[in-house]
Amino acid sequence: MRDVSMGQYYPASSVVHRADPRFKLVILILYLVTVFFCDSFFSFGFMTFFVLVTIFLSRVPILKVLKSLRFVIVILLFTTLLMMIFYSDTSGAAPLAEWGIFHIYLNGIYSAIKLGWRLMLLVLMPTVLTLTSTPTELCDGLESLLSPLKLLHIPVHVFALIMSIALSLIPSLIEETDKIINAQRSRGAAFESRNPFKKIKAMIPVLIPLFVSSFRRADELADAMDSRCYRGAKGRTRMKKLKAKLSDFVALLFWCAITVCILFLNYNWCGWAFITALGI
Amino acid sequence: MIEVKNLSFVYSPKTPFTNQALFDVNLRIETGDFFGIIGSTGAGKSTLVSHFNALTKIQKNSGAVIVDDMDLSAKKIDLKKLRAKVGMVFQYPEHQLFADTVLKDVMFGPKNLGLNNAEAEKRARDAIELVGLDCKEIAERSPFELSGGQKRRVALAGVIAMHPEILVLDEPTAGLDPKGKREIMDLILRIKSDCPTVIMISHNMDEIAEYCNKIAVLKYGRVMGVFSPRELFGSEELLESCGVELPLVTELAVKLNALGIAVDKSVLTESELFEEIKKAVG
Repeated sequence: MRDVSMGQYYPASSVVHRADPRFKLVILILYLVTVFFCDSFFSFGFMTFFVLVTIFLSRVPILKVLKSLRFVIVILLFTTLLMMIFYSDTSGAAPLAEWGIFHIYLNGIYSAIKLGWRLMLLVLMPTVLTLTSTPTELCDGLESLLSPLKLLHIPVHVFALIMSIALSLIPSLIEETDKIINAQRSRGAAFESRNPFKKIKAMIPVLIPLFVSSFRRADELADAMDSRCYRGAKGRTRMKKLKAKLSDFVALLFWCAITVCILFLNYNWCGWAFITALGI
Repeated sequence: MIEVKNLSFVYSPKTPFTNQALFDVNLRIETGDFFGIIGSTGAGKSTLVSHFNALTKIQKNSGAVIVDDMDLSAKKIDLKKLRAKVGMVFQYPEHQLFADTVLKDVMFGPKNLGLNNAEAEKRARDAIELVGLDCKEIAERSPFELSGGQKRRVALAGVIAMHPEILVLDEPTAGLDPKGKREIMDLILRIKSDCPTVIMISHNMDEIAEYCNKIAVLKYGRVMGVFSPRELFGSEELLESCGVELPLVTELAVKLNALGIAVDKSVLTESELFEEIKKAVG
């Protein structure tokens, strides 16, 4: 339980950890768009290389990052399998194998691999982001990035506040849950039971005290903010101001360059022969 | 009887958050003891007592805890039997109340032990009376509309109704006013006649000095020693090395003594101090 409290943040000292969360978020969006432009095996390999470089730079054990794949492994296998057996080839090539309505084409296998590969790339990079930034950093970054919406009278600050309160309450709520579960366990509650009905019933003595204490906490927090004259965003300054460093701009430029490379690989605007030679 | 042998415990082992809470703890708590556990925040007190009814599983090769004849480091423990034997009252136990009536809440424990409704209800009613609440008046009310002190009593009743032989209390008087504290401590003494062994964690040295017959001092996850109140609060070196403060009454006696009023410096309770002052002033 305890491990959930920091999200999945992995503390370490690295360039990726120190980078400005706003830039990390922008780079992530850029990266996700770019992944959808990948078309050939070479471009997938190219992207994967830079993902690996990022993981290496972040000093997070690579297994920790790969672990995130276990949540999507079922979807991944399922979609690649469907892609493989229901692929219909229009180029007129003969199927490698046929069985009723299922056909397996060489191109089908290629597309299935690419699909799986793309899914993996889509999962890995956001994982690196959450492993290297604390929830609070992400929240601040998001608020800063969304601040132009203030012109449209959208209360960005309020949303950010809600988010950061929710985030900062998670650890104490987890602690509270732990305590209540322990208290009820020592009163003989059967969380250890294998019977699922008993298990669900056993959650009631945990959930009700948890609700009660959440309301109590919320009340206390509201009082505390009130008594410190909190009036919302107007005229407020920040304790930790986000500051973009040169390295952040360099990283952003670098990823822009990668995007351009991928676009060139995909569309081959100048008709370069070597790109065609890189093939499928 | 609880015996703790070479117990160690590490939170989140093999992660960057790893934190060793207990180092090689050895303790022996006899039947009939009123056993106090003191130490500053983070000394490992709560971690230690949570081993006593297997809320915290003993880690591999990290020692053993033996409760009467049950070895808690064994793979399979009869949890029902253990939790009926060792009653645990946590800090702010009123935060565990959940049922729609006081009676149902107190019956939760006994029913989990497998007792039938009639027996559980009888035990619950007895326990509510024992903690000094009027059962007739309070049984059908919602626990959430009671006062703070009443809620705590109801929560205590919920544990007592399980008829434990060993009662573990984690700061039972935290957050109460002096009168409420006194009432809860009196209540614990009353319970002790049915439940011979009481283990209490507290930051209040006056309570520790007045009620406990043995005191274990924990510091940074290690046991500094087990003492009688007179040993601990009578020795300046011990207090210094363990980082323990004097009970208020003892401190008062020391100050009176410095002012030239000849009272015994080792008094531990208010009534003792009162007698001493009477003797000195004449």
